[in-house]
Amino acid sequence: MRKFSLVEFSVEHPKLVVILSVIITLIFMTQFPKMKTDTNPKNMLPATSDVRVWNDEVDRTFGLYEDMIVVGIKNEKGIVNADTLGKIKKITDEIMRIKGVASRDVNSFPTITNVTAGEGILHVAPLMTDVPKNEGELKAFRKDLYDNPLFLNRIISKDGKTTAIYVPLEKGANGKEIADRIREILKKEKGDEKYYVAGDPVARDTFGAEMFKLMAIFAPIAGMVMLFVRYLMFKDLFLSVTLMMDAMMSIIWSMGLLIALGFPIHIMSSMAPVFLMAIATDSIHIFNEFYFRYKEKRDKKTAIIETMRAVGRPVRYTALATAAGFGVLLFMSIIPVKVFGGLVAFGTVMLRVLSFSFIPAMFMFVKESNLDKASQGEDMATGRASRFLRSLAGLGVYKSKATVITGIVLFVMAVIGISKIVVNNNMVEWFKKNSEVRVADREINSALGGTSLGYIVAISKEDDFIKNPGTMRYIEGLQRHIEKLPVVGKTFSVADYVKRINRVLHDDDPKFDTVPETKEAVGQYLFLFSMSAKPSDLDNVVDPAFKKANIWVQLKTWDAGAMKEVIKAAGEYKKANPLPIDLKPAGIAYFNLIWNHEVLWDMVKGFILALIAVFVILVFNFRSFKWALVSYVPLVFTILLIYGVIGFSGKRFDMPISVLSCLSLGMAVDFAIHFVSRFRQRLAESQQSPPQPPLTKGGIEGGVNSKLPTPNSSLITDSLLWTAARPGKGIMRNAVLFASAFSVMMFAPLTPYITVGAFIVSMMMLSALMTIIYLPALIILLRGWLFKGGLR
Amino acid sequence: MTKYLLLVFMLILPLNVSAITADEVMKKSQAAFLYQGKDFKARVMMKLISKGGAERVRELTMLRKNYGEPGGDQKFFMYFFQPADVKDMTFMVYKYPERDDDRWLFVPAINMVRRIAAQDKRSSFVGSDFTYEDISGRDIQDDTHSIVKEEKLGGKDCYVVKSTPKAGDVDYSYKISWIDKTNFLPLKEEYFDRKGELYKVFSADEVKTVKGFPTVTKRTMKNLQSGHRTEVTYIKSDYNIGIEDSLFSERFLRQPPKKWIE
Repeated sequence: MRKFSLVEFSVEHPKLVVILSVIITLIFMTQFPKMKTDTNPKNMLPATSDVRVWNDEVDRTFGLYEDMIVVGIKNEKGIVNADTLGKIKKITDEIMRIKGVASRDVNSFPTITNVTAGEGILHVAPLMTDVPKNEGELKAFRKDLYDNPLFLNRIISKDGKTTAIYVPLEKGANGKEIADRIREILKKEKGDEKYYVAGDPVARDTFGAEMFKLMAIFAPIAGMVMLFVRYLMFKDLFLSVTLMMDAMMSIIWSMGLLIALGFPIHIMSSMAPVFLMAIATDSIHIFNEFYFRYKEKRDKKTAIIETMRAVGRPVRYTALATAAGFGVLLFMSIIPVKVFGGLVAFGTVMLRVLSFSFIPAMFMFVKESNLDKASQGEDMATGRASRFLRSLAGLGVYKSKATVITGIVLFVMAVIGISKIVVNNNMVEWFKKNSEVRVADREINSALGGTSLGYIVAISKEDDFIKNPGTMRYIEGLQRHIEKLPVVGKTFSVADYVKRINRVLHDDDPKFDTVPETKEAVGQYLFLFSMSAKPSDLDNVVDPAFKKANIWVQLKTWDAGAMKEVIKAAGEYKKANPLPIDLKPAGIAYFNLIWNHEVLWDMVKGFILALIAVFVILVFNFRSFKWALVSYVPLVFTILLIYGVIGFSGKRFDMPISVLSCLSLGMAVDFAIHFVSRFRQRLAESQQSPPQPPLTKGGIEGGVNSKLPTPNSSLITDSLLWTAARPGKGIMRNAVLFASAFSVMMFAPLTPYITVGAFIVSMMMLSALMTIIYLPALIILLRGWLFKGGLR
Repeated sequence: MTKYLLLVFMLILPLNVSAITADEVMKKSQAAFLYQGKDFKARVMMKLISKGGAERVRELTMLRKNYGEPGGDQKFFMYFFQPADVKDMTFMVYKYPERDDDRWLFVPAINMVRRIAAQDKRSSFVGSDFTYEDISGRDIQDDTHSIVKEEKLGGKDCYVVKSTPKAGDVDYSYKISWIDKTNFLPLKEEYFDRKGELYKVFSADEVKTVKGFPTVTKRTMKNLQSGHRTEVTYIKSDYNIGIEDSLFSERFLRQPPKKWIE
């Protein structure tokens, strides 16, 4: 009864409560200037995670960079002409001056090392030291470019129309900022050339930055949409604003707390305001009931207290279920997910505290005349919405068998759909098909070896082992094997350098395009190469002790599954070709694979935990396993249906979906809690008090008594229909409000937002429908089992 | 008027007398650092150390002979002991200050001498952080020099000279050198990249007098951006040992005379 005293206190001292709430809000607001942001999705995995530690080690061993931007330059008339080549040189020069670019290792025509022989002289030098000026020089350049197999598909496409500049980034540099600078440089160029900026850091950092921007735009828009829809529902601006304030306060409190605790706002937590706003819509049940009560009692204070008595329990338990749904995230291993879970759980609890204090207090300030006007529409018998809801519930009540059978059919179809779900993730596909990021990626991937980069690190047990001709041939064979995969566009390794030098030393005789016979020859070739090449050329492919070699694998897609195929192919090769060498994957493509895998399965784990937690709460709420089970059905069913549709539509089960599934649980169960609680309350009240006059409007009642002759059954039927019409209206209002807020997201330029929007809209609508149609059907069919021991 | 002119003249005069131009400093430094003696021999140990601490070793004997004045032509002959698989590899350079060097390499595994093109003097020397130019010197005329200040470095009075390449195709935008006033050896050099950031640092870590010539016997070049560094130590060094011209030939490249390389 403590809660009730809070309500009564708030009604007695409304001014004090409102002032206190505002003061607390202001205190939390003082924390906002300390806000730090972290837009890097990579930080979902901490820097100490195995994959990041291993990748760092590989980067250190081979002098590699974590991130690389690929700039594609395309000229339909062909790249090799003085004009385009001049631009390439100029652009490369300018890119190398950008802060954050690892200039020394930018690879492009003017910087990439070439090994050639001519007139008995061996050249190890950048491919294009000077821009060719005349036809003769152009011809020579063309020969240099096409003669070196290391260049094909790396810096020149087969058709000669596309080239690329590979721009490695210093650690910690922001890919989006550098990509923007590069775009500025490219914008200045005029002519036939088309330019594309692609690569993981572009997608990742652009996504991170966009996500923040979108949240800053969408949260207020969603807020306004909800305000507007609420106004349409209650025709009272003051109350609509009150609900809005309720949401804003909990957002400010929880974000303020997060900032005060020193956490940076990560992309995950940036979504919290929208979620809290949506969760706040649950207080609509209070408003809903209040209007009905006020119409009956015509006294504000009594109406408020009675309302809270009626909806208090379900509101508390829905809050608990939501908080638990998010709270389980605290047990996940991914830190931003934990923070997000804690944040929303805290916000949810705060929302509920406000529901029992701030909202009742605010009711006291509403003019009675306004209430009169607003509550006119709240008539169960005549209200259009209520009538519609009653008829929906009637469908479940009177055609319960058909409803359940339809449900079972849908269930089977959903299971078939689910079995078709493909788990995959591709960050570039988080952008829309015609977005700059995706077009760039597509263009470069179709012309060249690929924008995604993975490594296979060959690790032997002894120094200089890599120099053995046998090892060299092993690496070469591995490359050929991996290159058979359609997702692999290009590979290169130390073996390619050795073969190249062997051929060039033997007057460019194709016969010598092989690994030489002796270890000494390999060693001396590499030494020769290192005499003039950039230090990084050799460092990137072998470690100083020649114990490890690094095979570069360029992938044509950012699908997490692509690297998986490469790893599998490497495993097969290893099995078929025994050599005391270990093959380990690394690189950004490998990171993405692990990152997706970890986040995805962590979410699946969270999802299962949330399912259990929600069920436990249901059992506690109803103090009955049976009722918990029944009210669990709409939730499970909704989720199965959505997954079934995902499976049939061919949309992949990716990270955003896995995150969502986990988040949505605690929210989707709310409706069932409201419905069942209120239904049981109603039933208990009806049994104690003389039955209310039967509802005669709506045209369904005529059939009620004839079909269900037992008084108990008729009582159940009546109560079900009443529940659908009255709290059911609250449920529908809640669902519509929720859906309208999230539908805004469907207009976002990033696909995960569209997914979030569509997912939540359909989930809310489905679970509301399930609750109103399916629950009555189940209750009717299972009434013998459910009511066996009486109501309690 | 004449009074003022006289005053100005008097003010400049004392400076003019003692002042040395930046070009002169650099010229003297080049002579002291790279042209000392008629000829020179050193057993060189080179350690290429990566950011993570992994080392590649190069051990060689370097022979140098001057032709003409300091700043003029030179010939180099190098014989490699380490890494093990390059043992017996030899390398020869004819250095011309005003045009591309001539370089030859003997590859024992296939018993072949190859001329190697030397388009870029700023490319790495045997994979180290030193460039060919750092080893054999850069033409004084290629840069404009100015004395920025004079200061003590490690207790030694130094000229601090800023050298800016005249051509734009160099990997650094300017270099600051600390030149010891007494022996004109460079004690430290800082290279600034084209973004204006410090990226390479040279330091003379040990100076010994060999046959009366102050010689930098230990030096380091560190690349601050890649974290890679190269340490060079002269295990033995000697001047004016009478190297014959005939040594610098293809014949001896294939079969280097023991007395010179040991």
